[in-house]
Amino acid sequence: MRPVLVIAAKDLKQRLRDRSAIVLALLAPLAVAALMSAAFGGAENVHATLAVANEDHGAVATGLLAALHAPELGRLVTVDEVRSASAATQAVRSGSADAGIVIPAGFSASVLTASPEALSTVTSVNDTVAAELASSVTQAFTARLNGDRLAVATALAAGAPASHVQALARDASGLELPVDVVQRALGARQLSTISYFAPAMAIFFVLFVVSFTSRSFFVEREQGMIERALAAPISARHVVAGKALSAFVLAATSLAVIGVVTGTAFGADWGDPLGAILVSLAMVLSVVALTALVIGVARTERQAETVSSIVVFCLALLGGNFVLVSVAPPLLRRLALFTPNGWALRGYTDLATTGGGVGTVVVPVLAILAFAAVVGVAGLLLARRAVRP
Amino acid sequence: MSALRIAGLSLRRLARDRAALFFMVALPVLVITVVGLTVRSFSTFPVGVVNGRSSAAAVELTAVLERWPSLEVHEYATSSAASTAVRRSEIAAAVVIPSSFGREIAASGHVEIEVVAERANSTQQAAATAVQAAVSQFSARVAAARFTTAQLGGDFAANLALATGLQGSVPQVRSTTVVADDSQQTLPAGFSYSAPTMLVLFVFINAVAGGATIISTRRLGMYERILAAPVGAGSVVLGEMLAAFAAALAQAALIVLVGAAAFGVSWGDPLAATLLVLVWSLVGAGAGVLAGTLFRTPQQAGALGPTIGIAFGMLGGCMWPLSIVSHAMRTVGHLTPQAWAVDAWTTLLARHGTLPDVTTKLGVLAAFAAGFLLLAAARFRRSLA
Repeated sequence: MRPVLVIAAKDLKQRLRDRSAIVLALLAPLAVAALMSAAFGGAENVHATLAVANEDHGAVATGLLAALHAPELGRLVTVDEVRSASAATQAVRSGSADAGIVIPAGFSASVLTASPEALSTVTSVNDTVAAELASSVTQAFTARLNGDRLAVATALAAGAPASHVQALARDASGLELPVDVVQRALGARQLSTISYFAPAMAIFFVLFVVSFTSRSFFVEREQGMIERALAAPISARHVVAGKALSAFVLAATSLAVIGVVTGTAFGADWGDPLGAILVSLAMVLSVVALTALVIGVARTERQAETVSSIVVFCLALLGGNFVLVSVAPPLLRRLALFTPNGWALRGYTDLATTGGGVGTVVVPVLAILAFAAVVGVAGLLLARRAVRP
Repeated sequence: MSALRIAGLSLRRLARDRAALFFMVALPVLVITVVGLTVRSFSTFPVGVVNGRSSAAAVELTAVLERWPSLEVHEYATSSAASTAVRRSEIAAAVVIPSSFGREIAASGHVEIEVVAERANSTQQAAATAVQAAVSQFSARVAAARFTTAQLGGDFAANLALATGLQGSVPQVRSTTVVADDSQQTLPAGFSYSAPTMLVLFVFINAVAGGATIISTRRLGMYERILAAPVGAGSVVLGEMLAAFAAALAQAALIVLVGAAAFGVSWGDPLAATLLVLVWSLVGAGAGVLAGTLFRTPQQAGALGPTIGIAFGMLGGCMWPLSIVSHAMRTVGHLTPQAWAVDAWTTLLARHGTLPDVTTKLGVLAAFAAGFLLLAAARFRRSLA
C-alpha cells in the first residue's frame, strides 16, 4: 500500500507545482461559472411588457384587458396602457415594450357586425416570445368572441333555414366554450441555467485530469522513472494504482471545490448533497478509467495529449457539457446517455429538479459505474503493457 | 525573405502537430454541428401531448396544436413520461388529453384538458398560454357543433367537421400582426448562429494556444540558432506573425467554407465578410504572438490560452447573445474584441448589412489587432535581444 501512496503523493505534488493543472482544474471552471452566473442572473425568466393601446374603450375592450390582467399571467406579462396605436408602435420600436396590442376605435361596436374590426399585435423581431405571448392571449380571447358566429354559421351550413338567422344568433349569444384547460403544477423545481452549467463545466474541466495524468506518465517513462521504480520492490500494479489514486484525488478535489463554491456563491443547485457526492464519485472513477485507457492506447506524451484531447472534447460535446442537453434534438439526448458525463448531468438535473435523494440517482450512478468498469478493465489490460519495460 | 522562411518553418511544425489539427479542424466542425442543432428558434415552445391519437377528436386537437405557430408538438405515451420531460425542461408543458375525449366532447358537459406546467416558471407558463389559445380555437368548433346538434339534430362528428371547415372563412374578429421593429439584434438560429460565433471563438482560442509553438521554439534554442545566421530579430518577429496570421486565416477560411458548403450558412456581403475574416485573423495573430511572449511554458499556453479564449468568448457573446445579458455585462463584454466581431457578423447575417454598416466595428477590431501586434512585436524583440 505504501508505495502506492508515495507514488500518488509525488504525482499530486507535481500537479500542484505545475500551475496549468490548477488553472484547468480549479480556476477555469470557477471563472466560467462566475461569468455564467453574472450573465444569467435574472435573465432566465420569460417576461413581456405589452404596450396596450385601447382606442376603443368599449365593453369588449375591457374584457380583453381583464384577460391580460388574469392572475396566471401575473409573472409573465406587464400591461403598459398607452394612448394610441402609434404610441404602441413607438414603445415596441424603442424597446420600452416587448410587444403591443392595439384595440382599434369602434372595436366593441363592430364585434357583432358583418365586418368586425381586427385587433392587431405589434411585434419586434427581437422578441418573438413576447410577440407569441401577445398573439396567444389575443387569440384565446377572440376565439370566445368568434364562437357565437361560428355556431350560427355551422347551423346554417347544416341546413337551418336562412330566415332563422336572428333566432339562431340570439340562442348562440354568450355561448360557452366547453373545452377547458386546467393547469396542474408539477411540483418540480425549475432547472436554472447555472444549476445545469456549473456541474457541466466542472465535469468538462475535470476530464482534463485524463490529459495531465496520462501525459505525466509518459514524461516519467521517457525519463526512465518508471523503470527505476520497478527496479525497487515495487510492482507494475503499484505504479498503476498510484497513478490512479493521484488522478482520483485531483478529480475529486476539483469537483468538490467547484461544487461548494458554485453552490454557495453562484446559486447553483446541486441537489441532495449525498446524491451529488455519489454521482461525482462515480464520475471521478470514470475519469480514472479513461486515464488508464489513454495510457494504454498512447505510446508517447504527444500521442497521450492528442488522444486525451479527442476523448475529452468528444465526451463533453456528446454528453451535453457545452449545450443545454434538454433542448437538444432527441437524437443528441439519446447519444448523451452513452457517455458517463451525460449520465452525470442527468443525475445532477434530476437531483436539482426533483429535490430527491440518493434514490433519484441510482440509475445514473450505476450507468456511470458500468462505463467506468468497461473502460477501466480495457485500460488496465492495455496499460500493464505500457508500464512493463 | 527570411521572414517567409521562418513563417514556413512554424507552419510546417504546426501541420505536423496532430493535437493542434484536431483543435483546428475537427473540433470546430463538431461544435458547430452540436450547437447549431441545439440552438433553435426561441419563438417556439416544445410541448408534449399525451393521448394525442386516442380518438378522432384528439387527433384533430393535436393537429390544431401542431399548426399553432409558437408550439412544437412531441407525443408521449404516458402522462408520467411527459411530466418527467417537463421537469427536465425537455418540453415546456405537457398537454394531457383525456382518453375518453372523443365521447366527452360529443356529450354536453365541460371537458377538461390537463396542462402540466408550473405557474412560477415563466417559460412553462408562456407555453401553457399558447396551449390555452390553441385549445380555445378547437373549443369554439366544439361549441358550434354542439349548438348545431342541439338546434337541428344530426351527427355531432359531422357538425364538428362542418365547424372545422367554416372556422377559417366565417367573418370574425381577427388579429393581425404589425411588425414595428424588423432590425434583428441577434444572429438567426441554427447553424447561422453557431458557425459565425464559433469562428470568432476558435480562431482566437487556437491562436492563443498556438503561442505554445513560439514558446517551444524558444525553449529549443531555435531562435538563437536562427539569429546566429545573418537574420535580423525583425525577420523572426515578422515571420512568426505571418505564421500566426496564416494559421488563423486558414482556420477562419475552413469554418467559412464548411459553414457554407455543409451547413448552408450565408455569410452576407462578400466584401465585408472577407474584411471581417482578415481583421479577425489579425486580432488572432496578434493575441497568439503576444501569448507566446507572455506565457513561460507551452503547458501554460495550453491551459491558460483556452481558458482566456472561453472567458472572452462568454463575455463577447460567442456562447449566448449579449442581448440577453444586463446592460453592465454588455458594456464589459465590449472590452473584448469578440463582442465587436460577433456584432459585425450579426449585422452581416441578421440584417444583411454591407461594408458601411460595419466600418466602425471593423475599425475597433483593427485597433485591437494593431494594439496586440505592436505589443507582441515589442515584447518579442526584447526577448530575442
